[in-house]
Amino acid sequence: MIMITGGAYQGKTAYAAERFRLSPEEMIDGAVCEYTELINAKCVYNYHEFIKKLLRNGEDAVQCTTEICDNNNGLIVIMNEIGSGIIPLDREERSWREVAGRCGCIIAERSDEVIRMICGIPQMIKGGE
Amino acid sequence: MTVLITGGSKCGKSSFAEKIFDSIKGRKIYLATMKPYGEEAEKAIARHRILRAGKGFETIEKYTDIGELELDNDNSVLLECIGNLLANEMFRNEQVQISADKIADEIKQISTKVNNLVIVTNQVGSDGMDYQEGTELYISEMGKLNQKIASIADTVVECVYGMPVILKGEKPC
Repeated sequence: MIMITGGAYQGKTAYAAERFRLSPEEMIDGAVCEYTELINAKCVYNYHEFIKKLLRNGEDAVQCTTEICDNNNGLIVIMNEIGSGIIPLDREERSWREVAGRCGCIIAERSDEVIRMICGIPQMIKGGE
Repeated sequence: MTVLITGGSKCGKSSFAEKIFDSIKGRKIYLATMKPYGEEAEKAIARHRILRAGKGFETIEKYTDIGELELDNDNSVLLECIGNLLANEMFRNEQVQISADKIADEIKQISTKVNNLVIVTNQVGSDGMDYQEGTELYISEMGKLNQKIASIADTVVECVYGMPVILKGEKPC
């Protein structure tokens, strides 16, 4: 697996598309895709939004993320860093941030490479050169 | 030399930027983009003035259209900061202006004209919050503008509590 993270609008998706020569059809949007699509996908972006969707449906996002890692170990996961603000007062938002953090750690743990994008520049924070 | 310095709020970006100028000769221009509106802005400006005092900077305040400035090739410019400049450009009229491309062009133009250009920007958009339309657009334009500036910069530095983390190029000082 490969994980690409960073804040919003730092060039994560463009980097993935260019480096792994992905066509738009090969990149699925976590905000709208289904679990079954993720098992066969090459690349998912907005994975943090997928987690939000799971939570809204009352599903166990940690369990689900682990299963995706087990069943699609070639997946390229693009996921925003979302934990650098104030802890939200809203319970749903708070739990999203917490679960997204845990899921992110699982994905990073399973990934051969973790890349953090900032200002369009990739920083290799795990593996790579 | 063109240097972009980024990082979160209050992480020592300005001090690091000013440190680069310690070894720079010639006319040093501090290009201030923050409008002195309200007590907090005035405090921030006063604090930065004290930090810069005695370092030989000449301050020019320009809140929009930085491309209009007349600069020479022996000048070295510290532009602070992109966050304010972008907000001033985007929200100058009632209708929100998409401004990242315009500012990127102006910066590119300045960088080819002057001897040194050091730009202080800001990282926004790592808090996972959903904002209203105007703010969301501002965050996306900040991301876009930072990427454009980083691509033309010789050096890109992220400050973490005053510690420079080099993202591109050589350590500038």
